[in-house]
Amino acid sequence: MSQSLRPYLTAVRYSLEAALTLSNFSSLEVERHNRPEVEVPNTSAELLLQPMHISRNENEQVLIESSVNSVRVSIKVKQADEIEQILVHKFTRFLEQRAESFYILRRTPISGYSISFLITNKHTESMKTGKLVDFIIEFMEDVDKEISEIKLFLNARARFVAEAYLGEFVY
Amino acid sequence: MLHLQPNNLLIQKTLSEAIEAYGNGTPLTLDRIISDFDYTTFHISNASEDKLTLALSIRTKAWQSVSQCTGGPGLVAYLQSKYANYSGISASSVPESGYDYTLLLDLGKLQPEAMKDLSLLKTLVLGYAFQLAFNEFVTLSAAPEGTESETNILHTIKYRDDENLFIKPSYDRITVIFETIFQDETDKVFGKVFLQEFVDARKRNRSIQSAPQVLFSHEPPLELQNAGAVASMNSSDTSRRFITFVLFPRHFQTPELQFSTLSHLTLFRNYFHYHIKCSKAYMHSRMRYRVDSFIKVLNRAKLDEEEEDIDQQSKQQQTRRTITGRKMVSY
Repeated sequence: MSQSLRPYLTAVRYSLEAALTLSNFSSLEVERHNRPEVEVPNTSAELLLQPMHISRNENEQVLIESSVNSVRVSIKVKQADEIEQILVHKFTRFLEQRAESFYILRRTPISGYSISFLITNKHTESMKTGKLVDFIIEFMEDVDKEISEIKLFLNARARFVAEAYLGEFVY
Repeated sequence: MLHLQPNNLLIQKTLSEAIEAYGNGTPLTLDRIISDFDYTTFHISNASEDKLTLALSIRTKAWQSVSQCTGGPGLVAYLQSKYANYSGISASSVPESGYDYTLLLDLGKLQPEAMKDLSLLKTLVLGYAFQLAFNEFVTLSAAPEGTESETNILHTIKYRDDENLFIKPSYDRITVIFETIFQDETDKVFGKVFLQEFVDARKRNRSIQSAPQVLFSHEPPLELQNAGAVASMNSSDTSRRFITFVLFPRHFQTPELQFSTLSHLTLFRNYFHYHIKCSKAYMHSRMRYRVDSFIKVLNRAKLDEEEEDIDQQSKQQQTRRTITGRKMVSY
């Protein structure tokens, strides 16, 4: 892990741990409704907490928006060039299509970010908060690794294919 | 499956089945349509009632443009000469309706060796233009020094809807230019990576230094601009790429080399796009695997149901429930 990645992930970890103190909270506006307050237009300012924005550089950022009963975590994955852009887009879309099995994954990222998670008090009641934080940190580590591995593979394959084709012309 | 084969295996297989069945005295009733790359279709059917002759027809997009290439005996005559050595193969004077060219095969006389050449029919059709270029190269290079060495000969093969192949013979080399477009945005980016590797492969790997030089550009190369062939092209299409192969005499010295060169070049586009698709497929399966591993990590966070059941049995009193029956969870 590079020198600047560790403090970045540590910052995200502590911020998440601080944000994930959720409690059940019924809607103030609609009777018998219980909805993630971070997702709905809100007239009561006290339900929303100050969003936390952690930025490693302009390409890698995390935005943690917390409210009384839900936390929205948005991650911007590093996209250095055209290929990484496509790979990240494909990969996040692939994950979002399988959002049911991910429970905490949001189907669309909020604008400006690659992928968003929505953690509600229901999730923290049925899952261990510590492990949820672990999951998000591990996700951030692995996505970068995966994207760069696929990119390397693509280059290696292209090279191999080109050499194999041109090798046929050597007599 | 690294390389694509220039011959069509299904034709080969169908014909050997037909010959075998004929040998056993029970000729097959055949009516088979076989597809190949670049919108090419073959049709193998019984030509006569007694099932003794087969008709092998080909329809390909390239037929019209290849048969318009000037300077040789003509495409039909060329194909005829290729199959003249085998007994039992004759060209039908009128091609089957809907097809460009029809060969009649006499099952009684057909030799097994002819099968390979019959399955190469599509390569031979495209190869005619290459053959003309090889011949023109010989005439051009034999011309005395100082004479006009540049010619306006440019063979165009329109082998797909809007992708063309250009062959330009010159006195010291033959230039083969592929025009390709990418339908998909991802293909375009991947194609760029692949093409860059094609261009660099020769410089990097010493063992393939003698391979043809490869260049690629977004603009039509000079060879095409001079010949005025680009007028018809839609230059505003940004996904259009031009890939140039420069063949030197060492690539087409003998007929065997000529054939191997042309059979590889005719399949270049297919090979190139095939490997782009392959890497996408690999990427997809890799992502699938990665999603599974992420789900595993997430499931670790879930409270273990079984563990809880055991807890429940042993420490019945300690499990506290709310009035609605929900478990109280403490960390």
